[in-house]
Amino acid sequence: MRSLWRRLTASLGGRARGWALRRQGRDPVFVTLESRRIYILPTPAGLVFGLLVLTMLAGAMNYNNNLGFALAFLLASLGVTVIYHTHRTLAGLRLRLLGAEPVFAGDPLDVRLTLVNEAATPREEVFLDWPGSPPVPAGLGPLDSRLVRLPLETRRRGARPLPGLRVGTRAPLGLMHAWAWVHIDAQLLVWPRPAAGPVPLPNSTGSHRPHDGHQRPGDEDFAGLRSYRRGDSPRRIAWKSYARCGELLVRDFRGGGPAAILWLDWNTLPPGDVEQRVAWLTRQVLDAAAGDRPWGLRVPGITVEPAQGREHLRRCLEQLAVVAPEALP
Amino acid sequence: MSGTTAERRTMERRQIAWAASAMIFGGAPHLFAVVPWVALLVLAVALWRIVAAARGWALPSLWLRAPVTVLAFLGVALSYRGVSGVDAGSALLLVMAGMKLLEMRDERDRVVVVLIGYFLLFAVLLRAQAIWSFAWLAGAALGITAALAQTVRRERLLSVPGAAALAGRLLVQSLPLAVLLFVLFPRIPGPFWAMPNTRATGVTGLDDQIQPGDISELSLSDAVAFRVRFDGAVPPADQLYWRGPVLERFDGRRWSALPDVARDGPPTADSAAGMAYEYQLVLEPQGQRWLLALETPLAWSAPRAALGRGRQLLSADPISERLSYRARSVTGGGMLAPESPEMLAFDLRLPPGRNPRARALAARLRQDSASDRDYVGRALAMLAQGGFHYSLTPPPLGQHAVDELLFVTREGFCEHYASAFAVLARAGGVPARVVVGYQGGERNPFGDYWIVRQANAHAWAEVWLDGGWRRVDPTAVVAPGRIELGIDETLAASPVTAERLWRANALVNRMVLSWDAVNAGWDRWVLAFGPEMQADLLLALGFEVPRTAQLAALAVAGTIAAMLLMGFALRHGRRVPRDPCAILYARLCGRLAPVVRARAAAETATHYAEAIASARPDLAAEVRALTRQYLELRYGGRYDPAGGRALAARIRRFRPAAAPAHR
Repeated sequence: MRSLWRRLTASLGGRARGWALRRQGRDPVFVTLESRRIYILPTPAGLVFGLLVLTMLAGAMNYNNNLGFALAFLLASLGVTVIYHTHRTLAGLRLRLLGAEPVFAGDPLDVRLTLVNEAATPREEVFLDWPGSPPVPAGLGPLDSRLVRLPLETRRRGARPLPGLRVGTRAPLGLMHAWAWVHIDAQLLVWPRPAAGPVPLPNSTGSHRPHDGHQRPGDEDFAGLRSYRRGDSPRRIAWKSYARCGELLVRDFRGGGPAAILWLDWNTLPPGDVEQRVAWLTRQVLDAAAGDRPWGLRVPGITVEPAQGREHLRRCLEQLAVVAPEALP
Repeated sequence: MSGTTAERRTMERRQIAWAASAMIFGGAPHLFAVVPWVALLVLAVALWRIVAAARGWALPSLWLRAPVTVLAFLGVALSYRGVSGVDAGSALLLVMAGMKLLEMRDERDRVVVVLIGYFLLFAVLLRAQAIWSFAWLAGAALGITAALAQTVRRERLLSVPGAAALAGRLLVQSLPLAVLLFVLFPRIPGPFWAMPNTRATGVTGLDDQIQPGDISELSLSDAVAFRVRFDGAVPPADQLYWRGPVLERFDGRRWSALPDVARDGPPTADSAAGMAYEYQLVLEPQGQRWLLALETPLAWSAPRAALGRGRQLLSADPISERLSYRARSVTGGGMLAPESPEMLAFDLRLPPGRNPRARALAARLRQDSASDRDYVGRALAMLAQGGFHYSLTPPPLGQHAVDELLFVTREGFCEHYASAFAVLARAGGVPARVVVGYQGGERNPFGDYWIVRQANAHAWAEVWLDGGWRRVDPTAVVAPGRIELGIDETLAASPVTAERLWRANALVNRMVLSWDAVNAGWDRWVLAFGPEMQADLLLALGFEVPRTAQLAALAVAGTIAAMLLMGFALRHGRRVPRDPCAILYARLCGRLAPVVRARAAAETATHYAEAIASARPDLAAEVRALTRQYLELRYGGRYDPAGGRALAARIRRFRPAAAPAHR
């Protein structure tokens, strides 16, 4: 029964949302909530309140009780006044989308917005929510601004279009619910989810690519053993000491020419479907970033020149996020 | 939703306390009126609930709550012998609210408790309508509305004064429309369903039968019977006879009213001898059907009222609410109305074998009389000269009550003399009856109206002379002062009650009277507002005689106008006195909030600028400069529009980066 009700309201809500989108169009990142886009309806408590007032009115008529009339009319009038206040809590509110740092698919995006109240009256009990997620408080004092962080679920990599944001309030008495839909015309980047297990990095000196001409780290200056870090070539693992003490150690080399470049290449991956390979490649990119060698990325149609550092990592993840299956052979 | 779990729980605890307080605002006046166990139960439950919230105790399970609820409901039904009526209804509401407190877990439950609070308040008003109820209505509406505002909040609670201020603002803004509805909403005279009659029981007042001693008991009561205001001329004190029940059946000791079978035709006043008065009367509820009026009422505004047997003004329903009506009467003449011979014969009946000495006296007087009128005069003269005394505490009378009064005790109160005179008249062949009502009243100089109390209760006789009923007040002959001065002055040995002693002080009496004047004004203007006053008001405003449909249209139009006005204010009204500097500064803060932090509510502009500067040295110079410019613009005397434009442009150009590293 309850789930049926929820499905019914969700379906109605979806339709209303679609209607509002057609009516209002998409919004820029800076939005002012004008009166005409604020919708208002009584809450269930408001409906019960209305019923209560009607009952009082009937009682006052029956008993011909003027104080009863006074209370009934005062409450009826209060119900009308509250419409105005609830509406005013939203009318004129400004909000601006600041964006969100990209996240891996499946992690929530931390969408940041600023809300600005240019009125001398507070806008209390304002809540923001995406469809199907819990509301986040965003009340404002008079002449106030506020940064609001809204988690947004992600499922797939790529550009995540912002769903319709609902800005709602039930202030001051919870009898009326006013809301506005804001459909900001923006997309947020979602990186692909890296594969769970470690994916061995390709052997950049590998026999299948002898011509790439990149140098390996100088093998000459053996500097000792250090513990294994992601991205270390399996060839340098000291298997003997692993057998002895159970800890993964690698042979470390110091000095000698520039660090060898690691090429992460779509085509060197074992066969798998597109998403699987993207996940592997993402894992490799992350592991390479944790290592100390520069790395480059090759996906059909895209080449990211080798480099190191956070910016480079972001660039690579960005490219992986938008790998289009149809562009692949 | 906000804050930590601990904060959340503190907030919830306070919200529970608010919901419970809403119940107290609505329910407290009931606690003294319902049966004690309901009051105790509800208080205990409310107290337990608040402690349970503070200590985090678990709420009782449904297995405990359900039987307790059922038992409590049954208990109410048993205590009140039913669940209808205001008293049982409020007890039931209290129990419901108490039980709801026990299962109050989330916001919905709290809202239900608060709404029950509103309804309890409504029930308070059904119970009492004095000025204090209005004061309570105002205070409690404020408290319950504040509780509603607090209980539905999710982000942050307001402070107690903050919540009260919010509720006060909302209610004050609601007042104009409320007053409009109060005045214009069509008042359809009720009731639509059965009126519980519980409140009128045990009220002192007249009865439709008297025997010696009844009225002397009443005369001890200072309770107000009704208040009356005359339009224009005020009748002299000896004409202030407010007619109540007419008693025609006599069993030798007790006079009682006939059942209201046949309605008499409308009377005509002896206008040559009488004088017409118009007045408005506010009658206290007395649980009986009769409406008091000066004798020979010709017109009245009370709804569903008509003249009954003996031309007493009767309402269709017992008076269980304070009732206001206007009437026009002619006094001083007598009631000229046809009377059937059967009825006149009935008004001559005396029980055989009772009061033989009185009958003998009547026969003697009748022999000497030339006419009925002469006979009545002789009987009165006999009472005047017979050495009779007026006393509140006459010796008790036996079976031949009239004989004992006339020949043995010679001491009595108005009902004794009225009864004795009526018996003499009937024995002498003149149809007679006893009328009970009120005589006189106390004029309140502060409000220019008369207060008639139970102590003014009186009994007199009416005799059929020359084709009409004429009032004869034997008490006026025995103790003439009683009619002119009032009872307190007449009876030197009047019993001393605390209230009388209190009112004997002139200053206190003035205070009592002025408070009564305030109350009477309240009754007259607020409580008595009904269909007639509404019609009068609208007529005075220039409307034609308004009908219900027109009124409804007017009320709807008024409401729509109020809502349109609100919509207009919403769309075009400047919500804020728009300070351009404040807007510019809000814009600057809006720029800084996402990259550093938002300005705290109590933070000064300078302090905020310094905080930004220390967090982001790369922004320090620009932020300090912008803040200085803003402060100069805002507080440097008159607002300089050019400076404002310059600051606006500078803020527009100011785009702080999210992180300092990329600078």
